[in-house]
Amino acid sequence: MSALRSYVLLVSWQAMRKKAYLPLMMAVQALFTLGIVLGYPLLFPSLDTTYIYLIATGAPAISMVSVGLVALPQTVGEARTEGSLDYMRSLPVPRLAFLFADLTVWLGIVVPGVVLGVLVGAWRFGLELQVSPLVVPAVLLVALTSTCVGYAIASVLPYMVTVIVTQAIVVFVFMFSPLTFLPDKLPGWLAFIHRLLPIQAMGEVTRGTIAPQQFALSPGAWLTLVVWCLLGFGVTYAAMTRRA
Amino acid sequence: MLLEIQELTKVYRTGVRANDGITLGIEEGEVFGLLGHNGAGKTTLVNQVVGLARPTSGSIRIDGRDVVADPGLARRLCSFQAQAQVPIDGLTPRQAIDLLGQLRGGSRADVRARRARLVEGLELGEWLDVDAARLSGGVKRLVAFAMAAVVPGRLVMLDEPTNDVDPVRRRLLWQQVRLLADHGSAVLLVTHNVIEAERSVDRLAILDEGRVVAEGTPAALKAVLGAELRLELTLDPAVSEAPASPFGRTAVRIGHRLIVGVPVDAAGQAVAWVESLQRAGAVEEFTLGPATLEDVYVALAGGDPRPTELEEAYDVSAA
Repeated sequence: MSALRSYVLLVSWQAMRKKAYLPLMMAVQALFTLGIVLGYPLLFPSLDTTYIYLIATGAPAISMVSVGLVALPQTVGEARTEGSLDYMRSLPVPRLAFLFADLTVWLGIVVPGVVLGVLVGAWRFGLELQVSPLVVPAVLLVALTSTCVGYAIASVLPYMVTVIVTQAIVVFVFMFSPLTFLPDKLPGWLAFIHRLLPIQAMGEVTRGTIAPQQFALSPGAWLTLVVWCLLGFGVTYAAMTRRA
Repeated sequence: MLLEIQELTKVYRTGVRANDGITLGIEEGEVFGLLGHNGAGKTTLVNQVVGLARPTSGSIRIDGRDVVADPGLARRLCSFQAQAQVPIDGLTPRQAIDLLGQLRGGSRADVRARRARLVEGLELGEWLDVDAARLSGGVKRLVAFAMAAVVPGRLVMLDEPTNDVDPVRRRLLWQQVRLLADHGSAVLLVTHNVIEAERSVDRLAILDEGRVVAEGTPAALKAVLGAELRLELTLDPAVSEAPASPFGRTAVRIGHRLIVGVPVDAAGQAVAWVESLQRAGAVEEFTLGPATLEDVYVALAGGDPRPTELEEAYDVSAA
């Protein structure tokens, strides 16, 4: 059994499990990005151009982060608690095939909303986005990093703690993370923390590839993401192969 | 021996000694039962075989190969029905069984043919294309069994496969378990259902507090008790203290029932004793019959039998 074939079969398993909810989940994700793109300007009617671009390009990042760091860990934690994760771990397939299968299904759920959010944002604000081809690796890296970190959270923490932590992450991502605003608005200590955490970097590579004319892409953001991705991957791998 | 377990000990980080020096082996073509109370260490044992838990000491070999060192090999050589329900809501039994067969390396055509035989053998046809979310626990359990059996490993491990399954389909399930062994797999069956195990296994081990307290064929284990009869009394609910057995053998009380071991040559004496108890109003009903594997189980593992398990076993015998 090749790793690729295992992966394909697991993707179809996960997709079939979710199929009743897939359209609904995709719709919610789309509404989520649309809500930010169309809703923020209602809160703040007189936005300058920088902020309009920040909102239009920050919404996709928020959507991806919220799936990877909130929805996914809750699902994984639940599977761990009910014993189905152990069942999956007893199957003769590479352990990481599960991670990549989940990543694929989550990408399928989140990407249509991301694309729609960007298109509607561009239309609503009359933006001329010159999307860079680098948007593909950027989206993949952001999704992979948030999936790996999300998996790691669910693998290490007890389920109830995972639920609480992910709720806290929602508030932190929405209100106190420089995704729809620039980090210089934050107090110094929080700005410093965000230089270490992956959330700001996720926003930077997303907006830097969706609107490269407006936002410079720094190699540091890519590097931060790669480090967090490897860290989450390592913890997840250790948890998936761990024997009690 | 296809599965060879030597001096297997597992101590969890919490300090719980779940397995304590277990040695046992299973041949190809053999159905081997692992019996014990909840917490006796059965699931810990299978989790170590399939690589979900790491032994503290001891060895596990499948087909002569060390699977503690190579848990990936264990997963390829074993198919496993876990005690927890399988995550198949959203899939139909047809999809779930076929997926598992292909994940275990079966070709599409072989998996379909084998699935068709299993579905027929377990009489699952009417549910074949129903979303698993709408299936009863018992039917889901049978689907989980079919998932483990569709492309069976050299070793097939079934953890409480008959839980929630109705009595008629239990028999069908046991036939399929026997077929797995007849086709050359070694089958390790974990259960606390003693009555069913007696009818279905070739050999068994009784586990108590992580140790094997008895191992052998059902007949050999029953011989441990010698020429013994079992006398089961239904006590009057008003009786708070069970009458003492005059036979000096095992006597176990479960609710209002008292089970007493009786030597074969004391059958007449036993009836007379019960009649005197009935006259005194202490006993409502009684049955006298040959000792069962359950009596052996109670005698060996029954230091503190959990009534619910034993009562479940009784209910099955009644069915």
